[in-house]
Amino acid sequence: MASLFHAPMPSTGPGYSFSAQPTAASAPRQHAGFYPYTDNGGSTLGISGATFTILAGDTRSTSGYNINTRHAPKLFKIGGEGPDNLNARIVLSVVGFAADGNALKERLDTVVKMYRYQHGKEISVHACAQRLSHILYGKRFFPYYVTAILGGLDEEGKGALYSYDPVGSYEREQCRAAGAASSLIMPFLDNQVNLKNQYDPMSGQGLEKVQRVPEPLPKETVEEIVRDAFTSAVERHIEVGDGLQMMVITKEGIEETFSPLKED
Amino acid sequence: MFIARSEYDRGINTFSPEGRLFQVEYSLEAIKLGSTAIGVATSHGVILGVEKRITSSLLETSSVEKIVEIDRHIGCAMSGLQADARSMVEHARVTSQSHEFHYNERLGVESCTQAICDLALRFGEGAEGEESIMSRPFGVALLIAGFDEQGPSLYHAEPSGTFYRYDAKAIGSGSEGAQAELQNEFHKSLSLGEAEVMVLKTLKQVMEEKLDSKNVQLASVTKEKGFRIYGDEEMAGVVGRLEGN
Amino acid sequence: MPGFDFSNHPRNLALHSRGVPLPKATSTGTTIVGCLYSGGVVIAADTRATSGPIVADKNCEKLHYISPQIWCAGAGTAADTEFTTALISSNLELHALSTGRKPRVVTVMTMLKQHLFRYQGHIGAYLVVAGCDPTGAHLFTVHAHGSTDKLPYVTMGSGSLAAMSVFETQWTNEMSRDAAVKLCAEAIQAGIWNDLGSGSNVDVCVITQEKTELLRNYITPNVREKKMRDYKFARGTTAVLDQRVITKEEISKYVTVQEIGDEEVVGEKMEVDS
Repeated sequence: MASLFHAPMPSTGPGYSFSAQPTAASAPRQHAGFYPYTDNGGSTLGISGATFTILAGDTRSTSGYNINTRHAPKLFKIGGEGPDNLNARIVLSVVGFAADGNALKERLDTVVKMYRYQHGKEISVHACAQRLSHILYGKRFFPYYVTAILGGLDEEGKGALYSYDPVGSYEREQCRAAGAASSLIMPFLDNQVNLKNQYDPMSGQGLEKVQRVPEPLPKETVEEIVRDAFTSAVERHIEVGDGLQMMVITKEGIEETFSPLKED
Repeated sequence: MFIARSEYDRGINTFSPEGRLFQVEYSLEAIKLGSTAIGVATSHGVILGVEKRITSSLLETSSVEKIVEIDRHIGCAMSGLQADARSMVEHARVTSQSHEFHYNERLGVESCTQAICDLALRFGEGAEGEESIMSRPFGVALLIAGFDEQGPSLYHAEPSGTFYRYDAKAIGSGSEGAQAELQNEFHKSLSLGEAEVMVLKTLKQVMEEKLDSKNVQLASVTKEKGFRIYGDEEMAGVVGRLEGN
Repeated sequence: MPGFDFSNHPRNLALHSRGVPLPKATSTGTTIVGCLYSGGVVIAADTRATSGPIVADKNCEKLHYISPQIWCAGAGTAADTEFTTALISSNLELHALSTGRKPRVVTVMTMLKQHLFRYQGHIGAYLVVAGCDPTGAHLFTVHAHGSTDKLPYVTMGSGSLAAMSVFETQWTNEMSRDAAVKLCAEAIQAGIWNDLGSGSNVDVCVITQEKTELLRNYITPNVREKKMRDYKFARGTTAVLDQRVITKEEISKYVTVQEIGDEEVVGEKMEVDS
């Protein structure tokens, strides 16, 4: 995901080892212009299991070094009934520019509700995922500045998780971290969920060693991994903190919890 | 009475004092002039059958297309003004493709029927304020057969924009007799082969010409093969199974 | 040898014009404050160091020693605050030695502003200077471009507005030592909670004519909670691609022995005052 969108433009200029993009001193901006995007920080993550999907996000909203609020949710139930989205079975998480995130969630929610009226059935996560991709690509040249993760249960009752880039490229995955601290959390998830770089201690020596095989994790384990991912991200990323919002989607419905994170 | 009627039967958006829309009612009459079309839904799939009126021995029978595909899993049979059906089928095809593009899943049969009926009403302004795009109602009725996650289903769509789901339905000039026959013959445990024969038998009873494998057309919708129009050999096979042929 | 080396300047200018950005320095995002009270002066700082949005150090020291009775709180580029205070501390020691007097806070402030002004703001050091000398207790701020202020209470860094809001609502003239320490700690906490560039703990330094107290980690309101899971990997989890055991007997194969003959080894002798 996202690899194409964020890759730097190919250039004939020199390669450099600093993390920042070139400031393009050769082509200065002609005028300050209207820049309608803001980065509101924060992070989200999703993990799918055998019979459940967990999505989580911190509740801090920032601009620059300021905190806008400590209680801004990034997880939204999609396509439920009434103002509290009762009986919803799909969750959308959005991180990036909060205004676009809200607009996107409103649109997808409307689309999913219209789908029920028009087709007389609940939309599947699979169909919702494709629709979300089209909504995002529809604004290819004025994108929703968000990284979205969509979670639910597929037609077989297995956990389903779809991750997106801002212009609609998407993929079904086992787990994904997005937002400000994604580069801190994703390697942790690779190692702990998909057991990357872990070899079976019982299996031979050196090159003979066998990679440990990932198997679906129980819900309790995943919840612990999620909390550890966030408490760790809070330690090392200034835009992550305040609160942890978690949604667990099972065949019984969506269970939403809020718990505190450090506020510094 | 005749005078009063003529004042109200021109405007398609004008009710008569008795509360009737004459142009819509006339469009239903147009269907009664059309060739007979029959649909039978079984638990395994749906069979559609139509009579082809071979008006001339010089007519190339394969050019008479009264059963058409809408998508891999939906097809329809028509009776009435065939040209009108072209726009309806085109609309249904676009709707079905668009749905698959947007949702990565097949359009439901009822949703497809609804989309067609939405178009049928566009002789007036659309629901979202779209301008009227047609000068008159359609003069054709459709039997829409499909297979979706709910299983096989058969719908009848009229120019008035109403639609109903049927186990078995006949439309067109011989519809009255055919419908009575279907009423007697239909039962829930019909096999697909029995339904094929039942459709042909019913057509045979209401057709003026003698039924053969050239002047009727069958199609089926099943889970395994989707929508399929029967080829010449297959037609000959089913016609052969008919008693007295 | 002493001073800055500008030999890479033309090269870096050429790189910059081709679009290569400057390397990012660690900045001490920071809230620092200072407050005079009746018996002396208090300065305080948070302990977060950042590099962009990443926390580089969760418990760094932003209170720098200048002389026993003069301390400095630093904000801005970490390297600049560190080296500038060390340089001035060193020069001040020499100055004290040559004059034979206790160093004064104004002297430190003047040396800092002259040094920083010479570098036209390129040395990104923003400092709160505080201390006690024979002329009394003093508190100054010095900005990177060389301007200075002398005030009874001061704040600097990205959390300066949050911290100043505390001073502006709670500061009173002629406070006690404990009240001043408490006020400074409150001001730093305002920065810790409300400014993303500041965080972790509160460091305090209290300077009186008699003594200096450095209260390192005076308040620690951000202790990490216990992790839910254990992340200890079983021995053998990491693949070992190559392994070689060198026995004591084999070691001679890896050592080159060179005979030096009977010449007397001449080493440097330590000069010792007699």
